[in-house]
Amino acid sequence: MAGLKDKYCVVGVGETEYSKRSNRSTRAMAVEAIKKAMGDAGLKAADVDGMMSYQGGDSTPANWVSADLGLRLNFYMDVFGGGSSTEALIGLAMGAIEAGMCKTVALFRSMNGYSDFRIGGTGARAAQPVRGLDLAQVPFGMRSAGQNFAPTFMRHMYEYGTTSEQVAAVRVAHSKHASQNPKALLKERVTVQDVTGSRWICKPLHLLDCCVETDNATCIIVTSAERARDLRQKPAYVMGVAGRVNKPRTDFHWAAGPISRVAGYYAKDIVFGQAGIKPEDVDVTGSYDAFTFTTMLQLEEYGFCKKGEGGQYVSSGIIELGGKRPNNTSGSHLCEGYTHGMSMVIENVRQLRGLVDDYCPAWAEGKHSYDYSPGKCRQVKNAKITMNLGWAMPPTGSALIMHN
Amino acid sequence: MASVEYRGMNLVIPENDSEWREHFKLARGHKLMLRACKACGLMRYPPSHGCPWCAALEWEWKEVSGKGHIYSYEVVHHAIQPGFKEWAPYTVVLVELDEQRSTPTPDEALRIIANLVTPDFKPAAESTVAIGKRVRVVFQDLAEDFALPQFTLTDEPPVGRVWSL
Repeated sequence: MAGLKDKYCVVGVGETEYSKRSNRSTRAMAVEAIKKAMGDAGLKAADVDGMMSYQGGDSTPANWVSADLGLRLNFYMDVFGGGSSTEALIGLAMGAIEAGMCKTVALFRSMNGYSDFRIGGTGARAAQPVRGLDLAQVPFGMRSAGQNFAPTFMRHMYEYGTTSEQVAAVRVAHSKHASQNPKALLKERVTVQDVTGSRWICKPLHLLDCCVETDNATCIIVTSAERARDLRQKPAYVMGVAGRVNKPRTDFHWAAGPISRVAGYYAKDIVFGQAGIKPEDVDVTGSYDAFTFTTMLQLEEYGFCKKGEGGQYVSSGIIELGGKRPNNTSGSHLCEGYTHGMSMVIENVRQLRGLVDDYCPAWAEGKHSYDYSPGKCRQVKNAKITMNLGWAMPPTGSALIMHN
Repeated sequence: MASVEYRGMNLVIPENDSEWREHFKLARGHKLMLRACKACGLMRYPPSHGCPWCAALEWEWKEVSGKGHIYSYEVVHHAIQPGFKEWAPYTVVLVELDEQRSTPTPDEALRIIANLVTPDFKPAAESTVAIGKRVRVVFQDLAEDFALPQFTLTDEPPVGRVWSL
């Protein structure tokens, strides 16, 4: 598979505080996140000449944000979409640079995902008339992401015997990771019983199977390996990227079966083919956790275990810090805050640098204790290869493999 | 333009909505009609302009029996749409229709989203829903030219294993 392995890298990352009331505009948050990422990379205004963002009619476009930062852009584009956009946009940024359109691209996502346009479907979005494609589902009370995905999760339980207790282990692992993360909204560790004992939201989803809606902005800066040489941070090199890869009948995923199959089935050969590695070579995964189930479905679809054995995989301890291949070491969407995928790539960049911002007193100098008891370390020892598994819906996904 | 108020939602079908404008009107005549490709003969749902399998643009309406079984489902306990709060817990079913099962590939079928309701359009009790159970279409009239196809349980023998969470 042709690709651009090792020619491009992530050189800067940044984010705002994760909160439920930002009390400011998506423009203001985006500016802060980008400024932090530029500072992280050691880039000046004159060095960033590309900008991309993704949104769903709930954010500020790149050309407004760039003005606040004194940037003059040679390329900008705002795309429609949520989850799975991060990885795909990294690939598009590489393409824009490769085509000679620009040299360095800042990608951002900024949303008041709790206080304004709630991702769960309430708030400003719920008041809109129901028309077009929505008529197939919304009149039947099927509107939110959880309601949209639940039949896929339920069918997986039917076909493979996957249990609520098994997928609850995803929340348990991610809450453990969040307890090591000063940025996380939900730092308390939970048990399997806490998850299965929480109230039903949309069966088979309990409250704690669902992520935490959040106000935040996030930024990732992509440039060429050549340009990266004199920047501040150790680059995270892109080995392979895929996105947004689709199943057939992307309009309604339940039209083409098996509905327990998700887009990773089609993306895995693209991304692993470019990278020239296998799942067992990956040290850390970041599997989109809008819900506990989405993490599980993707890990099995990308071949970290056999199809249908995702429940066993995620409940085996493998995905926890201290396990063989930790997943979502920041606590991510379920516990840190919901970012539409950006934060999981940011976390993996920090893992590859050895500079995860945990409670180790000298983490900024790369000194970690590797003590995973509560309130301590979340750096994975010797992380060399990370993978991100991005999810938009069951039929749409993206993936990214990086190394240091 | 059709504009219907239902459970606090404004369902809107402009005249140029060539996918949906006839669908709910046909349902008001208490017929479940799907689009059938004039080239390959395969039906599809939701209504689309081109055939998902052969991309031909010519199609015709074809009536189906409205019988099928529950392929998957969910039970919404925490309704997010205000008009559904009094309905909760309510069940959303993914119904696999009897026509065209495992066609054109083993994993494909005509599937449709609806609520599992009692014959008088109340949400069916949560304890009655299960994958594999047989259902039939019932039409919930909302306006002179608009009905929602919904599904209700029948006492026919199930399709495969019966399972519920």
